[in-house]
Amino acid sequence: MNDLEYRLMRKQQIAAWSDRWQSEAARFADGHRDLLPRRITNAQLYGLGNVVRSARRYADVERFIKHQAAKAERAGRLDVQGYWNDLETALGKLRGEAQVLLKNIPLPVEADSKQALDALHRELAGLYVQHLIAHSLYSTTGKDRERQ
Amino acid sequence: MSKPAFQDMALRVALDRDVARTSDGYDKRAQEYASRLTGTRLDKTQVRGLESLACTTDKVSDITDWLKLRVGRDSGRDRWAKDGVGRDLLSEFDGLRNDAQKIVAALSKTYSLDTDQERQVHLRLCREFLKHLAAHFEYLQAEHRR
Repeated sequence: MNDLEYRLMRKQQIAAWSDRWQSEAARFADGHRDLLPRRITNAQLYGLGNVVRSARRYADVERFIKHQAAKAERAGRLDVQGYWNDLETALGKLRGEAQVLLKNIPLPVEADSKQALDALHRELAGLYVQHLIAHSLYSTTGKDRERQ
Repeated sequence: MSKPAFQDMALRVALDRDVARTSDGYDKRAQEYASRLTGTRLDKTQVRGLESLACTTDKVSDITDWLKLRVGRDSGRDRWAKDGVGRDLLSEFDGLRNDAQKIVAALSKTYSLDTDQERQVHLRLCREFLKHLAAHFEYLQAEHRR
């Protein structure tokens, strides 16, 4: 498989994965709906989105989430800590998804498989977070207004 | 032309025909949405923005995420969230999957199809729907201004 074929195949597989996993991310958001938008604010979610977009390695995303969980714990906000811990678990599991996808997309011979796996894991985490943010904001439309 | 290449071309023609036929059936519904959107504070750049995104992305979820974000951010409820128009549009996009399923099921009797085909047809149908919607919206807005 040449480089162009690999890129096209990778792009298509990721697009299909993203569409399949949108409902999973929505379920995560719905499962933590009681924390939105007061305990987990939109600003925190946008912050997560920025980190995931700019991360060079998956470990950067993980570090950010662990930091958020630690901050919440120090503040005694155990429900918020639980949210970040759950998210860390959910995103961590995507490494297995990345492994499955890589099996279906044979790497070009010169590619480093460890690096490719981390890059794909980071990309899948980015897509999951994109769905998560969109659904979290969507499901809380007007929630503040209703409270007022 | 080899047999696989001919089959591939025949499938493309059949797909184009079925998508076009289904798209013609969306015109009226898209017009109704356009009419509802003219009652909001949205302008044509926002509706065109959604259409452009649909034309350039390879994921249906990018379209629905975009719309969910706009609905979520509309705290004044005078744009995408007004009278539930954004929510209804999201349900509409979801419903287009049934049309994609029908198209793919019919074609699979004659052609061997990619497992991702249904998703790709769904994406094309979303694009078609938004094409009608954006055109009607601009037309209706111009009419309102007159």
